[in-house]
Amino acid sequence: MHLAPDTVPLDLPPLQSTIALPYRLTPGKATGTFLAELAARRIVGTRCLRCQRVEVPAQDVCSCGHAELEFVAVSTVGTLQSYTRMPDKTLGLIRLDGCDCDLLHRLHGDHEWAVGQRLQACWSDSPQAQALDLLGFEPAGQGAMAGLAPAAFEASREPLDSMATELKLHYQHAAGPYYGRLFDEMRTSGRIMGIRCSHCQSTLLPPRELCDVCYERTGTWADVADTGVLQAFSIIHLKFIGQRRDPPYVYAEVMLDGASTKIIHMLDGVDIEAAPARLKPGMRVKAVWKAERKGSLDDISHFELIDPI
Amino acid sequence: MSFQGSQPVAIVATAQTQWRATWSQAQHIDLIAAAVQNALKGSGLDIRDVDFVIDSGSDVLDGRSISNCGFLGAMGAHHKEESRVEDDGLWAAQYGVAKIASGSAQVGLIIAYSKPSESDVSQYYRTMADPFIQRPVGLDEESACGLQAQRYLHAHQLTPADLAEVTVAAWRKASSNPTVELDQVPSVSQVLASPMVASPLTQAMMARPVDGAVVMVLANASVARRVTTAPVWVKGIGAAMDSSVFAMRDAQFDVCRQAAQRAYARAGLSAAQMDLAETSATSAAAELMTLEALGLAEPGKAIDLFRQGRDAGINASGGALPANPIMATGLVRLSEAAQALWGQRTSSAKNSRRAVVHASSGIAAQSHCVFVVEVERP
Amino acid sequence: MSRVAIIGVGQTHHQRRRADVNVPGLVREAAQRALADAKLEMSDIDSVVVASGPVLFAAVNQPEKWVVDALGARGKPVVRITSGGGTGFAGALGGYYQVAGGQADRVLVVAYDKLSEGALQASISSLYDPFWGREFAVGIMGFSAAYWRARMDKLGHTEEAAARVVVKNLSNARMNPYAHVRKTVTVDDVLKSAPLAWPIKLLDVPPISDGAAAVVLTREDLAAQHTNTPAFIRGIAYCAEADNAPQRSMLMSEPLAHAARVVYRASGITNPRRQFDVVELQEPYSCFELSYYESLGLCPPGGAAELIASGATEMGGDIPVNPSGGCQGANPIGAAGLIRLVEAAMQVTGRAGEHQVPGARLAAAQTGGGWANLRGLAVVSAD
Repeated sequence: MHLAPDTVPLDLPPLQSTIALPYRLTPGKATGTFLAELAARRIVGTRCLRCQRVEVPAQDVCSCGHAELEFVAVSTVGTLQSYTRMPDKTLGLIRLDGCDCDLLHRLHGDHEWAVGQRLQACWSDSPQAQALDLLGFEPAGQGAMAGLAPAAFEASREPLDSMATELKLHYQHAAGPYYGRLFDEMRTSGRIMGIRCSHCQSTLLPPRELCDVCYERTGTWADVADTGVLQAFSIIHLKFIGQRRDPPYVYAEVMLDGASTKIIHMLDGVDIEAAPARLKPGMRVKAVWKAERKGSLDDISHFELIDPI
Repeated sequence: MSFQGSQPVAIVATAQTQWRATWSQAQHIDLIAAAVQNALKGSGLDIRDVDFVIDSGSDVLDGRSISNCGFLGAMGAHHKEESRVEDDGLWAAQYGVAKIASGSAQVGLIIAYSKPSESDVSQYYRTMADPFIQRPVGLDEESACGLQAQRYLHAHQLTPADLAEVTVAAWRKASSNPTVELDQVPSVSQVLASPMVASPLTQAMMARPVDGAVVMVLANASVARRVTTAPVWVKGIGAAMDSSVFAMRDAQFDVCRQAAQRAYARAGLSAAQMDLAETSATSAAAELMTLEALGLAEPGKAIDLFRQGRDAGINASGGALPANPIMATGLVRLSEAAQALWGQRTSSAKNSRRAVVHASSGIAAQSHCVFVVEVERP
Repeated sequence: MSRVAIIGVGQTHHQRRRADVNVPGLVREAAQRALADAKLEMSDIDSVVVASGPVLFAAVNQPEKWVVDALGARGKPVVRITSGGGTGFAGALGGYYQVAGGQADRVLVVAYDKLSEGALQASISSLYDPFWGREFAVGIMGFSAAYWRARMDKLGHTEEAAARVVVKNLSNARMNPYAHVRKTVTVDDVLKSAPLAWPIKLLDVPPISDGAAAVVLTREDLAAQHTNTPAFIRGIAYCAEADNAPQRSMLMSEPLAHAARVVYRASGITNPRRQFDVVELQEPYSCFELSYYESLGLCPPGGAAELIASGATEMGGDIPVNPSGGCQGANPIGAAGLIRLVEAAMQVTGRAGEHQVPGARLAAAQTGGGWANLRGLAVVSAD
C-alpha cells in the first residue's frame, strides 16, 4: 500500500451510510396463487402437464423447462428430509405426500426433530397473504391424513398481484488515508487539499493514490481554493425519496481554483425563475462554510455566485 | 471483427493485497490500486500494455450502485475496454480468457475485490433469496449451509468432528500463507465449541469474510512467452448453475460436478492428474462436497483425504474457510494456484504442474465455475 | 476467419407495468421469443448471459440466480454482466466473446428491467461516492442535465433541438409494436412541459418501463442452420472513462469516440453518415441523442442541432436514427442497450415491420451507462 508523502493514516471513524428503498413487487401467477391460498389453509403446488411432476410451492415453470402446468392442492402432511436448528428458528425440508420435490419451510414449536418424522402444517390465525401464514410444520398428530394425492384446485380467492417490501442496507465505509487527510484538513483548518499527479501535474480532488489518466502515483498535496468556476449546473424541480433538500434548488458542478477535477454541490442565492436565462457556466462561485465543521463535503453549506446576477 | 479458432491464454502475473478481517485504513480503490500495481510490477508489462479490464464486484456489498464505474481509475480502466461480471472473480477471469482466446486482445487485467467489513454479509446473501417465499421463511446463507451440511453428514454417516477437522486443517495451512492475516489456529474442540449457527454448523465452521483485492494478468501466447519463462496456461473452463429453489437443488453439488467435467474435458485431463486443488466454500461441509464433486474423492470420502494425511495439495493456501472475500474468493484461488505452480509458495509441493481451481456463488453455492490450469516450465 | 452472428431476436411488448408476470416470467418471455426466432430450444443453448440494471432497481441480489429456473437453464453456465444503463449491450458483448473465444457455440443473452417495482431516482442516486457528493445526487438526471446545459453554449444543443428529438422518437414509437408510449407531441409541448432538472423537462425524459429483450448468438458457420436472415456483428467495442478524471470532457463522449474508432476501423466505416442505413442509439434523455450524433461522426461537433432540424435523422431522411422510437418509446433500462442491438439486427434483416427503414443493410447500435462514462458501439450488417 502506497502512502503519499507526508500523509499519515488518520483514525477517522467510518462513514455510516444507509440505503433505504421501498419496493412494490409482482409475484406472478404461481407465487401469487400460492400466497393467497395460504389464507384458506391450502398448500398449492403445480403439476406439469408434460412430465407430470408435482412441485410445491406452485411454479410458473416446471423443472423440466416447460410452462404448461395446472394448479393442485397438495397434502399438508409429509415427511421430514432434513433440518437445521438456528438460535431463533428451525428450518426444514419436508416432502409433502404426493409431491416430487421437498418444501423448504419452518419447523414450528419446541420439539425434537428427526429425519423421517411425519409432520403436519400449522397455520396462522390471522393470515396476511404472506409466506408465514403457514407458520410451519409440527409433528403430525394421530388424525393427520396421510398419503393424500394432489387434487384439482379451485381458486378460493384472487391471487396476490403485488407485495410491498423494503430494503434497508447499512454500511460503514472506511475513509482510507487520502480521504482521511482531506477531511481532517477540512475540519481542522477549513482547507481543501487535492493531490498532484507526479506525471501530468493535475490536482485531483478528492485525493487518491493514482492518477486516473496517467496511472502514475500522485505525489504532493496541494491547496485548492474554495472559489472556482461553475462548470455545469441544472435546476432541480424533481422530488424523490432520500433527497436532501426540497426542490427547487440548483445542482452545481464546480471546478475549484487549483483543482483539475469537479466537485458536486448546490448553488444558493439565485432566483430560480431567472436562473435559466441568467445563470451561465463559467461564472465564478465561492464556498460558504458552515460554522461548525465535522470533516466532510457537508462542511460546505452551499456555493454562491461571487458576482450576483 | 473476425476471429480465428480459440487461441491459448496464459496467466503471466498476479498479486493480492493481504486479506484482513477489516481493512480499516483503506477504501476499495486503495486496495484495487495496490493490487494492480503489484501485479504489474516485475511482470514486464505496464498499464499501457493492458487492452482491457474485466472486474468483479457487488453493488450490495459495496453499498454503491454501479460501483465499478466509481472505481475505474484505480482499476487502470480509463480509456480501455471494461466490463463487469457481477459474480465471483473467477467468472470475470473466464470472460477475460474468452477475449484473449478470440484474438481481439492480447493482455487483460482481471480484478476482484471485496470489503465485507463495510456491510452486512448476512443481508448480502438474504437478499438473493426470492422475496416472496424463501426470504420470509428464512432462507439465508447460514440456514442453507446448515441444511446442506445436515443432509451431507446424515447421508454419509459423518459427524461434526469431521467438519472440525477440515476446518482446523484449513486454518493451519492459512497460518503459513503470508497473505492471510489471522490471530490463531483453532483446535478441533474450539471449533466444536464455537456458537451454533445452523446445526450442525458452528460459527467456526463457516468461512470467515475478509477484505482485500486480487488481480490476475492474462496474456496471449506471444506476449506470455516474452514476459515469462513459465506461463500458466488455462487449459479448460466449465461452469454451471443450479436452481434458485433451494429445496430443488441437488444434494451433492451435481452442477459442480458438471462444471468440473466440462473443464476437464476441454483440458483433455482428469481429476487424477491434478497436483493441486484450490476450492471455494462457505462452510466446512461444502468444502468436502466440493472436493467430491471435483472428482478428487468418492462421495462421502473426501474426509479420508484429511484423515489419511493426503491433503497437502488440497487448498494449500488455506482455501476459503479462513479467508473468504466473497466476490473475490475464486480469483484468489486462481492466484494461489498460479503462485504455487511458480514455486512461490513454500507450502506447495515441488514439481506440481496442474491445478484445478474452483469458485462458487449464490446461496449455499448455487453456481460453480471450474478452471484447469497447467504450468509450462522451461 | 469467422464472425459472430445474431440468429434470433426477441423482446417483450414493453409496458409501464407488467402486473401479470414477475421478473423471471418477464425474462422467460423474451428468451422464448428469441429461441423461437432461432428455431431452437433451451436445451440447444450452451451458455446464458443475463443482464439487468443495478440490483437496487429491484429487491433481489444476483437476480440471474433467480431467473435461471424460469429460463429452463438449470445445469447450464449462467453469468450476469452489468454496466449501468449500458448493461444490455454489455451482456451481448460478453456473449459475443463466449462465441468468438470458442467457449460456447450458441449463447443466449437476455436483458431486462422491471422498473415499476422500485424507486428509480433514489436507487440511481446511490451511484455517487458516499463520501463525496451522494447527498447532492439527483440520480442520472441531475448531471445529465448539467452537462447538457454546458453543451448548450459550446455546441448549440438547444432545448428546441432536443425537443425535435422527442417529437421524432415518439412519432417513430407509434410504428413500433414493442414500444408502449403512444402519444404525439409537438416541439412546443416539449418546451412547455414541466422542468424536472432543467434543462431536462418532463417530455425530455423517457418512460419508466418493464421489459426484456434477448438474442441468440452463434458462429457464422453455424448460423445457416438456424436462419436465412442472420445479422453479423462486424465490429463491437465498449470503452470506459474514469468518472472523476482530470480533463474529463463534458462536450464529447471520449469513451464513445474511442469505441467508434475501434469499431469503424474493424467494420470499414470511414463515412458513418453516408455508410450507415440506420442508427439505433440509447438516449436516456433527449439531449444525449444530439451529443451522440457528433460522437458517432454523423455530423461535426456543433452540428447536431442542424442535423435534427434538417430532417435527415427522421424516417424517410438519409440517416434515420431510432426508428424504434429509442428510449422515448420504451425504457426498461437494463434491456435498453440490447434492444438497440435487437432493433439494428431487425433492420438489416428486413424484419422491422412497420418501422422498417427500406433497404437497410448496415446499422449502428450504440449504448451507454454509469456516470456517462461507459459507452459501447456495434456495427451490424446483413452480410
